[in-house]
Amino acid sequence: MEKPDDVLVLRARDFWASLTLIVLSIFFLWKTSSIPLWGGNRAGVSGTDWYNSAAIVPLFIFTAILVLAFVLLIVSIRSGGAQHAVTSVGLGWDKAEALRVSTISLMLLAYVVGLVPRVDFILCSGLLITGLSFGFFGGHAWRASVACMFLVAAGVFAFVSYPAQADWNNHADDWVTLFLWIGLTVLLLVKGANDKVLRVVPLIAILAPLILVCAMAFGFRQNLPARGGLIFKQIEYHYYVTLRPLWKE
Amino acid sequence: MDFIFTQLAGFGAAFVALVGDPLTYVYLIVSVFLGITFGALPGLTATLAVTILTGFFGNKIPLDYSLIALLGAYVGAIYGGSYPSILLNIPGTAASAATAMDGYPLAKAGRGGEALGLTTTASFIGTVIGTFTLLIFVWVLLLVSKNIASPEKALLALFGILLSGTLMSEDLVIKGWIAGLIGLAMSMVGLDPLLSEPRYTFGWSYLLSGFQVVPVLMGAFAVPQIIDGLRHVQAGKVLALKGRILPNLKSIRRYLPTIGRSGVIGTGVGALPGVGEDVAGWVSYGVGKTVSSEGDKFGRGSFEGLLCSETANNACIGGALIPLLVLGIPGSPPAAALMGAFKINNVIPGPTIDPEIILRVVAILVMASLTMFLMGLFTARVFVKILAIPQTIFLPVVMVLTTIGSFSVGGGINDLYLMLGVGAVAYFMNLMKYPIAPLVIGVILGSLFDETFRRSLFLSDGDLSVFFSRPGAAILLLLNLGLILSQLPFVKRAFLRMKGRTA
Repeated sequence: MEKPDDVLVLRARDFWASLTLIVLSIFFLWKTSSIPLWGGNRAGVSGTDWYNSAAIVPLFIFTAILVLAFVLLIVSIRSGGAQHAVTSVGLGWDKAEALRVSTISLMLLAYVVGLVPRVDFILCSGLLITGLSFGFFGGHAWRASVACMFLVAAGVFAFVSYPAQADWNNHADDWVTLFLWIGLTVLLLVKGANDKVLRVVPLIAILAPLILVCAMAFGFRQNLPARGGLIFKQIEYHYYVTLRPLWKE
Repeated sequence: MDFIFTQLAGFGAAFVALVGDPLTYVYLIVSVFLGITFGALPGLTATLAVTILTGFFGNKIPLDYSLIALLGAYVGAIYGGSYPSILLNIPGTAASAATAMDGYPLAKAGRGGEALGLTTTASFIGTVIGTFTLLIFVWVLLLVSKNIASPEKALLALFGILLSGTLMSEDLVIKGWIAGLIGLAMSMVGLDPLLSEPRYTFGWSYLLSGFQVVPVLMGAFAVPQIIDGLRHVQAGKVLALKGRILPNLKSIRRYLPTIGRSGVIGTGVGALPGVGEDVAGWVSYGVGKTVSSEGDKFGRGSFEGLLCSETANNACIGGALIPLLVLGIPGSPPAAALMGAFKINNVIPGPTIDPEIILRVVAILVMASLTMFLMGLFTARVFVKILAIPQTIFLPVVMVLTTIGSFSVGGGINDLYLMLGVGAVAYFMNLMKYPIAPLVIGVILGSLFDETFRRSLFLSDGDLSVFFSRPGAAILLLLNLGLILSQLPFVKRAFLRMKGRTA
């Protein structure tokens, strides 16, 4: 069973959640109104009856969410959630937790949106593994901020330099990511010189993505993000030109 | 009786074919090992193990082998959760939460080896009980399910979502229902299944084909786990594994009634749509505490208590596959991930499934539980070493696995954006104690619900009586209404008053 404070935090969060759900369900009910319900003609097909409509199930779903959101709002208000909604109790997050979650979110965003589509997968994954391990092992807030800066710098550079898909095969962002990865690894080795767990991280950061990429590309024969990346391009070339002929012949 | 023999003969043939294929062993050993590792590492779950392997094996190798990999990981992960429960007092998976209550005191008393040995044996027997129940009952249900038409399917899908929402809510039940409805709403995105009317695509062509299952699974189960787990946790002290792991026959015989009872309970709970191994473990533990002669020792280092939860959570696997294979409704969150693998292989679980697949699944489960048994008994000390790896070291690798697994299923970069978006929503839902499993089940069953609900109305010219004029539909409608009504405060109060009067 939770402590009373935890319940209060939950109810305060429920207050905000119910308001968000009410707004979202009303928005989607409005969006649903653009789908013909009482007849209408789409792509030459006449939908003359309400039960033919593609809107019927979404209407049921969003109305149900709206009703439940109101119930949740009432439960929250009755339990004191509204009173505490704008206090620190209501948010239930302290500064350290806010910093932790925001740095992780920024790092993941930089990785998925900025780096993965544009930068060699081994390089960007190595940087991510190094950044997350260095940033959150041991619970030092400044390390998380520094690691976040490295990843965001790489992600923003890639995103800003090559926003269009046609340019994703360029390599300037690969080089920048490589330098940032080396920089972060040096920092990790300096700061974690006495920690045997941290000393293993650079090895994991190189081997894990390398093995994964090779298994996916040559074992499962799957597509990879940024196939023309700085390192993978070389691996692929030597696999097909240098290695494969050895057993093919 | 005939169909039982037919089933057993079919199982025998499938088993022999499996045993005779050398590749089986490669996939089994790797997947069971990975499964136990995922289960043993606190912060990783059985659902995550099956989800991540779905990204890797789902559609890249023949279905037979991908089933070996996924079921092997499923069986291994549910069992693997017992390691940290017994040696660290931290459940490796939610399914092993009850295990810690008796496992840790036993390990502290220097009986960790014995506890692990019995747990391994009970998990093996539990899986086999669930598996053979699947073999026998699936056939009966398949016969029944031939009479299931669109109205029943729609009501059954709704029941699965509502039941999972009801039973998996840690806080208010309506949060589980809201989660299920959000999942249903997500499944409405894209072209509708009957008229190809675009819904909520916002002009983005990627959304025309709807939300893909694998990125949603990865986002819902992996991303919140990674965000939540990346924090400094003071490493717990792993207790030394003392004593012989190999259990003696005398103690197995002594606890056989407990194992048998828990196996049946676990299978039964697993067969309920949307209810997972954690519920099975707790239900079996609760029943054991009530009926066992040593019920007063539960929670203080009782072998019976330990075996109650550990047998049930593994038996739940077979049970959870019954509704999945027969009705197309996942019986647990990992089964939902498994359904994703079926879907990307264009196999539609349900009444039309090829019975050969069911026989193969049973044969794979028996092989996987055998592999788990042998690995558990003879390589336990390897897994104990894994417990020492901090989650801040392995979770970044899991993020990379999740990314490449999600990307390679087919949708490319857009799938990664979807994964991240679903992950953010799931993280905040976790924070506010909304269960995630109903959301995923809603996404998976949404299109089935939409299609069958509207087809029922279409065939009956909009006559709503189609949902209660057929006996099966009427029963399911009553179950749905009963489930909703039972949660209303005034109904609850009325029941309490009635209970007070009868007492």
